[in-house]
Amino acid sequence: MSRRRLAALVAGAIAAAGSLAWSGWPPLSDYLPILICYEVIGMSFLVAGIAAWMRWPASRLGLLFTIVGYLYLVPYILVNLANPVAFTIGNLSEGLYGAALAHLGLAWPTGRLRSRFERGVIIAEYVTGVGFGLAGMMFWNPAFIGCNASCPANVLLIGAGSRSAWNAANTISGSVELVLTGIVLALIVRHWRSARGWSRQAMVPLVWIGVAIGAEQILTGNLLLLPLSGLVSFGLAPLVLLAGPALFVISTVRARTAGGALGAAIVDLEPGAAPGRLRDALARALGDSTLQLAFRQPDGMGYLDTAGQVVEVARLDPGRAVMPVTGSDEAVLVYDEGLKLEPQLIRLTAAAASMALEHTRLQAEVQAQLEQVRASRERIVEAGDAERRRLERDLHDGAQQRLVTLSLALAMARDQAASADPALGSLIESASKEAREALTELRELARGIHPAVLTETGLTGAIQALVERSPVATTVIAVPDGRFPTAIEATAYFVVSEALANVAKHAMASGAEVTIRKRPGRLVVEVSDDGAGGARTEKGSGLRGLADRVASAGGVLRVDSPPGSGTRLEADIPCP
Amino acid sequence: MQPSAAILIVDDHDGFRTFARSMLEAAGFTVAEATTGAEATDAARTIRPGLVLLDIQLPDFDGFEVARRLAAAPDPAPVVVLTSTREARDYGARIAASPAAGFLPKDELSGAALRRFLARDAP
Repeated sequence: MSRRRLAALVAGAIAAAGSLAWSGWPPLSDYLPILICYEVIGMSFLVAGIAAWMRWPASRLGLLFTIVGYLYLVPYILVNLANPVAFTIGNLSEGLYGAALAHLGLAWPTGRLRSRFERGVIIAEYVTGVGFGLAGMMFWNPAFIGCNASCPANVLLIGAGSRSAWNAANTISGSVELVLTGIVLALIVRHWRSARGWSRQAMVPLVWIGVAIGAEQILTGNLLLLPLSGLVSFGLAPLVLLAGPALFVISTVRARTAGGALGAAIVDLEPGAAPGRLRDALARALGDSTLQLAFRQPDGMGYLDTAGQVVEVARLDPGRAVMPVTGSDEAVLVYDEGLKLEPQLIRLTAAAASMALEHTRLQAEVQAQLEQVRASRERIVEAGDAERRRLERDLHDGAQQRLVTLSLALAMARDQAASADPALGSLIESASKEAREALTELRELARGIHPAVLTETGLTGAIQALVERSPVATTVIAVPDGRFPTAIEATAYFVVSEALANVAKHAMASGAEVTIRKRPGRLVVEVSDDGAGGARTEKGSGLRGLADRVASAGGVLRVDSPPGSGTRLEADIPCP
Repeated sequence: MQPSAAILIVDDHDGFRTFARSMLEAAGFTVAEATTGAEATDAARTIRPGLVLLDIQLPDFDGFEVARRLAAAPDPAPVVVLTSTREARDYGARIAASPAAGFLPKDELSGAALRRFLARDAP
């Protein structure tokens, strides 16, 4: 809203309130509460008008609130002016605000009437308001209410007036007004029933006010059903009238926090939440239960929302509107058209959705990259293992085989030479010894590259062989029978092998224990000793390498090694 | 000494078979050769050797499988001695679990060593 319009509205409201107070001052003793009532109610509509203009600039609600406010206040100012023409106009127009109120209710929340019928009803409201006002004034003599010399003259009065004609005009006008009010209320209820999402929510206060006004109409003079009319007219009616603008102003203040609610909704959303959860959070923050978050299908087959429903973005249902999610032509928000009154809120929602979707996308990307790195690490380790197995086998089939044959040949040569030439015999014997030592060293080398026993027998035999070679007394508590995938066996083997090597080198232990247990979905390898403790994965590069090796198989290595209390090393490896 | 005992050498490594054959013949044995597990079971049926020197690593079946098949053959089953360029501990409990009479590292092969197996398994 422009500053000039705001200034004009504020100045008008102040002027109207001031005029009313000035015209009615000094009030008669019992007139003061009524004067205050008129001030408060009239001003509340004018303030609500300003609020509506600021909140929904595209809607005519602001104008309608303002019209109701002036139609409510001005007649009373005119009546108090001690001028016959003003007095007459004031009296005949004092019920016109009711027509404007009906207009406001039917036009909620866009400020526009929805059909020709509704326009007809509202025109009838204004015309009958003015018409019956004029008719009544022709017969109403201020003396009827005991106002003889103190009241200005009624310039429309015919002769001395007629009390019975005035009463008849009032009765007819009351009945017509009751019918029109009934139609307006029925139409409002129909609007409310057909509204969905945000629009329906925006109509809730209106429906309550409509019910209250209907009740007020029935209870006050119009039907004279109950002898309460005095109390109701001067107690309940002002409260009902006040409720409308008050609820609107309150809901406006609350709507200002909707932007904050959006932020909170995004913050509360856990990372990587499904788009359905995002839609729910946005719908809650926006107050539009019909909100749809739809994604373009990769095959160009249109859009699907988070519930799997097809959304015809090009041909939306009536009452629906669409907004692309910022920075993406893949996703759109489809929402209740009433929300067009809140363009800023919709833009904020689209931006929030965009941020959340981008966050999820980036997270999925990082997750995928991590998975790729994990898989490639696993492949690298497996390729390394396979290469070591191949090397060991090559040594066994090649160099070891030749050394064995050489040893046999030397043994035969030694046997044949020994009797004929003892010196040659002893020379061949020492050559034979060298060949056997070379063979032993080669076997150790091959075993270090990859233990044949692991390939041949699996963990049971391989762990037993490790334990037998360990210089520290080591007990095997448990090793599961059967074979496991090669990579898992190799990882478990290297954990035990490295752990026992560490026990021998650093732990100063007198004993160690090895336990391997199969648990559902995993293999748990545990090596503990009674040595000095104080081992850390960060410190020893051996343990660091082992942790990497276990991690490459998707597992975790835990080291519990308090100084002075031994070391417990546990590898938890995923295993089908 | 029982020179009549025939030895079947099962190994796919030509060099080893050549030296083993001359060593064992020099020690007074009759020697036959096979290069695969399948050949070994056929030869055992036809030649009926007293002892089979069986390499664990063969191109078709491994030595443990061949030993199992030989043990299931009709009487009298030959004495089976597993052999390898590797050491016994590289095969863990598999050697003890096999029906073979024992294991002899290839570099420790001699006529005397085989006779010890024959004597141990003699009825």
